[in-house]
Amino acid sequence: MEEKEVILSVKDLEIQFSLRGQVLTAIRDVSLDVYKGESLAIVGESGSGKSVFTKSFMGMLDKNGRVTRGQILYKGKDLAKYKTSKEWREIRGKEIAMVFQDPMTSLNPLKTVGKQIREAIELHQGLHGRAAKEKTLEYLRDVDIPLPEMRYKQYPHEFSGGMRQRAVIATAMACNPEILICDEPTTALDVTIQAQIIELLREMQKKYALTIIYITHDLGVVAKVADRVAVMYAGDIVEIGTSNEVFYNAKHPYTWALLSSLPQLGVKGEPLYAINGTPPNLFREIKGDAYAPRNPYALKIDYEARPPYFQISETHKARTWLLDGRAPHTAPPAAIERMLSKWKEVGTLERGSETENP
Amino acid sequence: MIKYILKRLLQSLLTLFIIATVVFFLMRLMPEEGYFGEKYDKMDPEQIEAELTAMGLRDPIPVQLWRFYGSLLRLDFGKSITVRPKVAIAKIISQKAPYSIRFGLCSVAISLLVGIPMGTVMALFKKKIPDKLGNMYIIFIHAVPAAVYYLFIQLYVTDILHLPILYNERDPVSQWLPMISMSLGGTASYAMWTRRYVVDQMNRDYVKFARAKGVSEGGITFGHMLRNALVPMAQNLPATILLTISGSIYIESLYSIPGMGNLLLSAISRQDNPLVQALVLIYSSLGIFGLLLGDLLMVLCDPRIKLVREKEDR
Repeated sequence: MEEKEVILSVKDLEIQFSLRGQVLTAIRDVSLDVYKGESLAIVGESGSGKSVFTKSFMGMLDKNGRVTRGQILYKGKDLAKYKTSKEWREIRGKEIAMVFQDPMTSLNPLKTVGKQIREAIELHQGLHGRAAKEKTLEYLRDVDIPLPEMRYKQYPHEFSGGMRQRAVIATAMACNPEILICDEPTTALDVTIQAQIIELLREMQKKYALTIIYITHDLGVVAKVADRVAVMYAGDIVEIGTSNEVFYNAKHPYTWALLSSLPQLGVKGEPLYAINGTPPNLFREIKGDAYAPRNPYALKIDYEARPPYFQISETHKARTWLLDGRAPHTAPPAAIERMLSKWKEVGTLERGSETENP
Repeated sequence: MIKYILKRLLQSLLTLFIIATVVFFLMRLMPEEGYFGEKYDKMDPEQIEAELTAMGLRDPIPVQLWRFYGSLLRLDFGKSITVRPKVAIAKIISQKAPYSIRFGLCSVAISLLVGIPMGTVMALFKKKIPDKLGNMYIIFIHAVPAAVYYLFIQLYVTDILHLPILYNERDPVSQWLPMISMSLGGTASYAMWTRRYVVDQMNRDYVKFARAKGVSEGGITFGHMLRNALVPMAQNLPATILLTISGSIYIESLYSIPGMGNLLLSAISRQDNPLVQALVLIYSSLGIFGLLLGDLLMVLCDPRIKLVREKEDR
C-alpha cells in the first residue's frame, strides 16, 4: 500500500459541554488521522458524539461546548487553539466545508439560490460581478441542476428536497474546500433521492479531489461510499478500519450489535435486533469500557479499565478487551455470521453496488 | 395581485361604512345639552328647540342617516357645528393634520432608528448586560402607564434641560420632547420584536450553514438574519406608522400641539357630530389602509408568500 498523506490529524481530543452547571464530556480522548482524498465514515448511534467531533474541526461547537484537551492538526496549525470567529474564518468554507442534514432548512428562505452559492464564490474565490455569476451557473450545472439560469433566480422553496441538497452541495463546492464534512447528508431525503445524492457526492469527490467525512447512522450509505469506517460509541472511536474490515471482520461487540440491527439481516417474522440498555450518562466519569453494561460479552476487566486499542491489521484497530490474549475466544453473534455468508454470496458489499436492490 | 388589492379595498369600504354608521348612532345617543356647552343653562326650551332644528337634529333618524350617507358619498364632511361653527370640516382638518403628520412621522422614525438596532444588539448579546438593560427599558415602558412617564418627562425633563414646557411653533426646540415621548412606546415594541425575531433566526440551520460557509458574523447578522427577522415585522409596520400619525391624542393635549388628536378630544366633548364622524372615519381609514399596506409589504419581502393562489400549481 502506498504511503497516504495525512490531511487532518486529531490527537487525544476531549470536548466538554457545560449544561445547567454540570460538565458533560462528549468526546473522550479521541485520536484520528484523516487521509487526503479518502472518504471516511463515522458511524454510531444518536448522541455518540459524531456530530460534535466533526463540528470541532470547524469551530462550530455550540456556545457552551469547548475543546478542553488535545490537538486538531491541519496544515501545520492546531485548530484546537482557535478561539475567535476571525481565526475560524480562515478554515470555514475555504478549507473545510460542511453539508448539513436537512436541505429544507440549510438554505436561507429569503435569498435566491444563486445568490447563496455566489456568496461562497465571492468569499473564497475572489470573483465578483459577471464572473461570479458565470461560476455559480457552472456549479449549478456541476451538481446536475437542470435549467441553471432559471434556477439561479429561484428561491429555495421553489426547489424540491433533492434539488435543495444539490444546491447545498454546490454551495459547499463553491467554497473550494479540501475537506467536506457531510453530516447525515441523506437522512432527510427519500430513498431514491438518497442514492442520487450519494452518487453526486462521489462525483464531486473525484472531480475536486476532495476528502469527505461522512457522519451517518445509515450503514447502507457507509457500505456504498466509505473507504474507511470509524465506529463511535459514547464519545470514543471503538473500532476503525477499512470498510471491508469493519463490515466483514468486525471485532468490537458494539460493531457487532450495530451490524446485527441492520434490518436487511432480520429473519422474516422475527423482531429486529435491538441493543439492550441505554448509552452511558456522559455527565459522569466513565470507568472501564463505556459499552460494558450493554455488552453481553463483557468481561470483568471491562468494568475496571478502559481497553486500549488492539491492532488487528495495519489499518484496523478496536478498543475491546476481547482482543487481549488472555480473553476467552469469543465469536461474533450468529446473526453476523449469517449476514457474512449472505453477503459473500451476493457480494453486495462491493463498493458501488446498490445494496437496496439485490 | 391587482384583483386582490381591489378585493381588499372593497372590503375596507364596507368596514368603513359600518364604522361610520356605528359612530353616527353613538353620537345621537349623547345628551342634548352637550351641543350648547356653558350657555345651555341660560337658554329657554324654545331657543334650544330652534337651534337643534337648525342643526338638522330634529329630523327623524332615518332622514339624518340618509343625509349622512349622501354627504359621505360626495366626500363632503359638512360643517362644524360647535367647535368652530359654520367652518368647513375639510378646512379645519387640513389645518390640523400637518402637525399630526409631522409629529407622527418623526416619532416613528425615531422609534425605528432606535428600536431595531437596539433589538439587534440585545439579540446578539442575549442574556448579557445590553440585553438586560434593554429588557429593563421594555418592561418599564410596558408596565408603567404612559401618562405617568409622559407627565414626568414634561414636568422634570423640561426643567432639567431648560426646555419649553409647551409646544411653540416659533421655537423648534420645543418639538423635541413631544416627539421623543411619542416614540418611547414604539421604540420598546420594535426593540422587543426585533430581538425576538433575530433570536429566532440565530439558531436556524441556514445561519449555521452560512457560518460554515465562512461568512463573517457581521455578514450573517446583516446579510441573513436581520432581513429575515424584519419580514414578520413588516406586516405591522405601516399600520403602526399610520396610527402614530393619526396622533398620540394625549401627547398633543399635554403639549398643546394643535393637531388632530387634540381636535378629536374637543370635538367629542362638545358633541360636534360631523367633526367627530369625519375624524373617526379618517382614523379608521388610516388603520385599515395600514393593514392592507402591511400585507402587501409582506408579499414584497417574502417570496414564499402568495396572497392569491396561482393558476398553475407547482
